[in-house]
Formats: sequence, C-alpha cells, structure tokens
Amino acid sequence: MVKEKREKKKWIYRGVKTKMEPYFYILPVMVLLVLMFGYPLIKSVIMAFQNYKLSNINNVYFNDLANFKKMFGDQNFLLLLKNSVVYVIVAVLGQFLLGMILALALKQKFRGRGLYQSIVFLPWAFSTFVVGLLFRWSFNGEYGVVNDLLMKIGVIDKGIAWLGTPGLSLVVIILAMIWMGIPFFGIMVLAALQSIPEEVYEAAEMDGCGIIKKFFFLTLPYIKPTIIITVLLRTIWIFNSFDLVVIVTGGGPANYSQTLPSYMYTKAFSGYDFGLAGAFGLLLMVILGIYAVVFLKISNYDKAGDF
Amino acid sequence: MKRSTKRKLVNAVRFVVLTFFLLLVVLPIYWMVITSFKINQEIVNAQRLTYFPQVFTLENYQSLFRMLDYGGFLRNSITITMATAICVVVLSILGGYGLARFKFKGKSAVLLFFLITQMIPGILVIIPLYVVFSKAGLVNTHFSLFVFYLITNLPFCVITMRSFFERIPYVLEEAAYVDGCSRLESLVKIILPVMFPGIVAVFVFAFIGSWNELIAGTIFLNTPDQWTIPVGLKSLIGKYSVQWGALMAGGVLALLPTAVMFIFVQKYVVEGLTSGAVKG
Repeated sequence: MVKEKREKKKWIYRGVKTKMEPYFYILPVMVLLVLMFGYPLIKSVIMAFQNYKLSNINNVYFNDLANFKKMFGDQNFLLLLKNSVVYVIVAVLGQFLLGMILALALKQKFRGRGLYQSIVFLPWAFSTFVVGLLFRWSFNGEYGVVNDLLMKIGVIDKGIAWLGTPGLSLVVIILAMIWMGIPFFGIMVLAALQSIPEEVYEAAEMDGCGIIKKFFFLTLPYIKPTIIITVLLRTIWIFNSFDLVVIVTGGGPANYSQTLPSYMYTKAFSGYDFGLAGAFGLLLMVILGIYAVVFLKISNYDKAGDF
Repeated sequence: MKRSTKRKLVNAVRFVVLTFFLLLVVLPIYWMVITSFKINQEIVNAQRLTYFPQVFTLENYQSLFRMLDYGGFLRNSITITMATAICVVVLSILGGYGLARFKFKGKSAVLLFFLITQMIPGILVIIPLYVVFSKAGLVNTHFSLFVFYLITNLPFCVITMRSFFERIPYVLEEAAYVDGCSRLESLVKIILPVMFPGIVAVFVFAFIGSWNELIAGTIFLNTPDQWTIPVGLKSLIGKYSVQWGALMAGGVLALLPTAVMFIFVQKYVVEGLTSGAVKG
C-alpha cells in the first residue's frame, strides 16, 4: 500500500518535472555561454563604433563609422581579403581531400591498423605553436630541410627563401594548416564510413556495381551529412584562426601572408586600437554568417542550425 | 579485368596511399626530434645538412631547463587543462543529454546559437573578457584562462555528446525506468557506461583544445610563474635570437604528453565517433 502510494507520487512528480526538465539539463551550459559569449559580443559591437584605445582609455567616445572607414580604407585591405580567401579555400580543400583519401584507405581492416591510426592521426593532437615552429624551421631559407631535399632531387638548384618571398610565405602557412588538419577530417570521415552497414555494399556488389559507382552512389550519400558539417565547422575555424600566421611568418614579408584576423590581432595588440579590432571582428562575423547560410543552402542541408 | 588482379591492384594502391601518409607525418616529427639532439654548429651549417646527429647532445634540453621553468609550465598546463576538460565533460553530458532526449521550445534557437558562437573571432571574446578580468583582479590567474577554455570548447563538445546520446536506443533507458530508476539514475548507471568511448572522445577534444592554446594564454597570463607550456616556449623566440635547437627540444617536450595520451585513447576516439558518427 505504502509502496503503491510512493510510486504514484513519484510518477506525478515526474509528470510535473517533464515540462521543465529539458531546461534543467541545458541551463548550466546555456547560462555560461550566453553570459561569456554574449557580453563580449555586445561589448565588441559597441567598441566597433567607438574610439576605444587602450593607450587612451579615459577618452572613449562614439566616432560614428570612423573605424569602418579606416578598415576599408586601409591600403592592405584588398590584399588581406585575398589572402584570407586563398588561405581558407586551399587549406580546407586540401585537408578535406587528403583526409578523405586517408579515411578510405583505412576503412578496410588490416594488421596493425590501430597502431597506424595512432601515428597518422597524431598531428591533430599537436599544438599549433609547435607545428608552426617546425614548419618555419623546415622551410628556413638557409638551413631548411625542404630546400636541401628539393636540391638533392634536383627540382631546384639554389635554396628558396620561402618565408621571405611574397606568395611563397603564405604557401608555407597553408601547408602547415593542411598538415595539421588532415587527421580531423580523417577521423570524422572514417567514423562515418564505419557506420555504413556492410549489407548495403554486399547488395550493391550483387548488382555488379564497380568501385567508382559504389563510391559515388553509396558511400558519398551516406557520409554527406558528416562532410557538410565538418567542412562548415572547419572553414569557420580556419578562417578565424591566425596563430599559424603569427608563428610562421608574422604576416611577412610586408603583409604578404597577413590575413584579416591576424591583421586584426596585430592592430589590437600592437596599436591597442580595440575599436578598429572590433570593426574587423564584425566584418569577419558577417562574412562567416553569409558563408554559413549560403553553404547550408547549396549543400541542401535540411536541418539548418542543427550542426 | 579478373577479380583477383583487381583486388591486388586495389591493395597496391592502398599500400602506396598508407605509406604516403605515414611518411607525411613521421618525417617532420623525425626532423624535429633529431634537430633537438644536434649541437648548434651542426644545426646552422648551411654547407652540409645532416640527417642524423653527428654529435649526439642533450645540451639543447639542458639549456631549455636552464632558461625556463619547464616543470612549472607543465604543472600550470596540467592544472588548467584538467580542470577545463573535466568541467567540459560534465556540462556536455548534461547539455548533450538534454538536447538529444527532449523536444522543447527554443531547441533550434539553442543549436543556432551554438553555431554562431563558433563564428565569433577569438579576439572579440578575449578583449572584453580581458577588460572584465582586469577589473575583477583576475588577470594573470589560471582561473581566467580556465573560463576562456571552458566556453570555447563547450559548444562543439555538447553537440558531439548529443550525437552520441542519439545513437543509444531509448529502449535501454525505458528498461531502467521500468526497474524503478529515475532519469538521473538511469543516466549515470545505464547510459554513461555504454557511452564510455564517447566520453573519452569529448574529454580528449577539450584536453587537446586547451593544452595547445597559445594566443589567449599570452594575453591573459603575464608572469612566468603562471605560464602554460606554449606561452613559456613562445618566450624563447625573440628573447634570445631564435635558438632552433632549444626550441625543437621544447617542441618535443610539449608534444610528448599529448602524443602519449593520444596513442592510448585514439582507439576510443574513433570508436566513440563511429558509434555516434557526428551526424548532421
């Protein structure tokens, strides 16, 4: 009798709880994120319209669109935009294609696959700082191993000043970014590949489908959601990341490897011009917002926001 | 083409591809490691590059320890990173579970918000936080960096955790309810053990994300006793004109902990993601 009563009470209790219950689980995360992202975001938007210099913190005032005029009027602006676009497109494409090839090669079991995976996926666990240093050292114009190897196989006969040549310095940054990013795509795509049921392939084989047909009509559709989400996230992350630029070239020579975010970082922390940095930040967000909407639309991803 | 020749061809291609990727990863690491064991005259010898140290030395490691308090950096890195990773795991379990198991008002807004947080350039978050922290006297504390790492790692980890929960059949939970478990009990006793690989994966994401972070570290921490490993190593550049031997030695020591951890848990990461393949 008592037990029955208690059970009834428990059931009612649970019934009442259900409406509010989901919020109990997500509230801690949401409160934290809304506060810690919301406040800085609002503050940055305000700063973008202010004369806000840390060197002159007592003289903060609204200056209309002066920061934006300064940003678009910057003589480097077009170069920065071009560098950013080239950097993000080549790096994402490179990582994606190589990561995909790696995942396809890993799909079938073979002896020592676990060990092999532990090694090839390693760069994913590496710090950008160390990888940046390693590439900066390897592409060193005088003592770099890359020049030495290229000369040994006879591709070049004189060392190239990779980091000091406009155009080439950005190439080194892109290569480092690709190298670091292959494992992320590899792991994600491999995980997606492994969750494709084996029977699907067996059925296709019975119907006489070849490798290429199987890839395009079976594998690809199956892993499409994973691809869309990883490409989207990766593009956003890479577009905003600038630590490699700072570490490998410092933007040099003469801003030829500078991207929008790395330039913004330099402006914020060498000139302490937070207003201008805010304007750059807003621009980056607008670009990424447009990109995300367009990308999700053309990739026919039906669950917008559901990433 | 005969079936067996075709299979052989596929295997040969796979072998070539796998070898390529192995070399791609191993060679740069090899270069870093051997540079760290060379004496300086050998490192900066433009005439002849050596592919194995002619004189094997530990001098670079010794000078690294002389110049920097490496043990201190290691301790700081471990403190901040462990605190971050543990909190991220707990909060992602709660948040991921809420998003996977319930329909509620504002759910799609929550997901959209997560996506937007990913688009905010780090500097836009760092600058205002820095101003707030300095007013609160929190600049140059581990806490400031912990907060930053917590919020930057959370969104991706919550979403990843959610997709793990979605792969676990609801029947499993229902069975627990029938046995008289409350929701929380069933979460802790039934669901979490099944999700172990997924939890490890999220832990590793958060751990690596904060262990390797440099920029916020250099901004929030300004005395060497608080520095993390990347921040400490960065001080080697410029202070003494670039000392490649010591830097590479520092690099090796910085990568070692994550590399060792990753080799052990890599299996769980792939397994965790497979059972919950980051679905769209």
